[in-house]
Amino acid sequence: MNKDCDEALENLYLYLDSELDAVSSEKIRAHLEQCKGCGPAFDFEGRLKSVVRERLDEDVPDSVVDRVRVALRAETAPDSRLVGDRVGPWVVWFP
Amino acid sequence: MADQADFERDAMQYTRQLYSAAMRMTRNPSDAEDLVQETYLKAYRAYHTFQEGTNLKAWLYRILTNTYINKYRKDSRRPSEVDLGTVEDMYLYRRLGSEESAEAARTTEDRVLDGMVESDVKQAVEELPESFRMPVLLADLEGFSYKEIAEILDIPIGTVMSRLHRGRKAMQKRLWEFAKQRGLLPEDAKRP
Repeated sequence: MNKDCDEALENLYLYLDSELDAVSSEKIRAHLEQCKGCGPAFDFEGRLKSVVRERLDEDVPDSVVDRVRVALRAETAPDSRLVGDRVGPWVVWFP
Repeated sequence: MADQADFERDAMQYTRQLYSAAMRMTRNPSDAEDLVQETYLKAYRAYHTFQEGTNLKAWLYRILTNTYINKYRKDSRRPSEVDLGTVEDMYLYRRLGSEESAEAARTTEDRVLDGMVESDVKQAVEELPESFRMPVLLADLEGFSYKEIAEILDIPIGTVMSRLHRGRKAMQKRLWEFAKQRGLLPEDAKRP
């Protein structure tokens, strides 16, 4: 552990989240390439971030998109008062 | 000023992403669908106030978040119950073993990351106190910048950073517990 390692680790998330300016980011990248301690650590944190994102992605049922469209169309229709805010799936059959 | 007639064309592309976030907020599909629909109706009605050329996706997330907070949040204002006093940075990584070779270490890391199942990750996020969960979702699921998250949640950027940091630590601690339960970790291993 030296000063460069401290600086890199302090900026771990800023680096991974692309929140650093180009100069600071490049400095850390260069350090990671040659540091046996920080390189693998940053690599793991970056991979973990990707895995979390992948696993959180939801299979979205088509019904969600359909329902929003129907609700918006009802809102724009001249007789939208009759439909109100909550629009059930039945509206699909009685457009 | 944005034209309401363009709303559907411009805004519908974000429905699926908003639903994923809504699922992690409400924790159930039916509430998530309601939340997304309500968000779109509110956004449509307010679309004339949206400044064209600014960030529509962030604007929609702000409405989603506020709608959720006002309507669905049960644990409002409750301070964080997660004690992170002893949770260090890179909590998970430090516990992946102290194998001599880089190859052996990499094998353990791969096993843990590959073995991280969807339900565990979802649970780890859902269990976060809300003040941490929102920044983590917005950053890690949606890829928003700190500045955008600050605008969506209406908190200072420094607060975004500290909550994100603490939220990720808490999440790593939970993920480590899951990995341990699933037998993915070496015994008594800890990196210096």
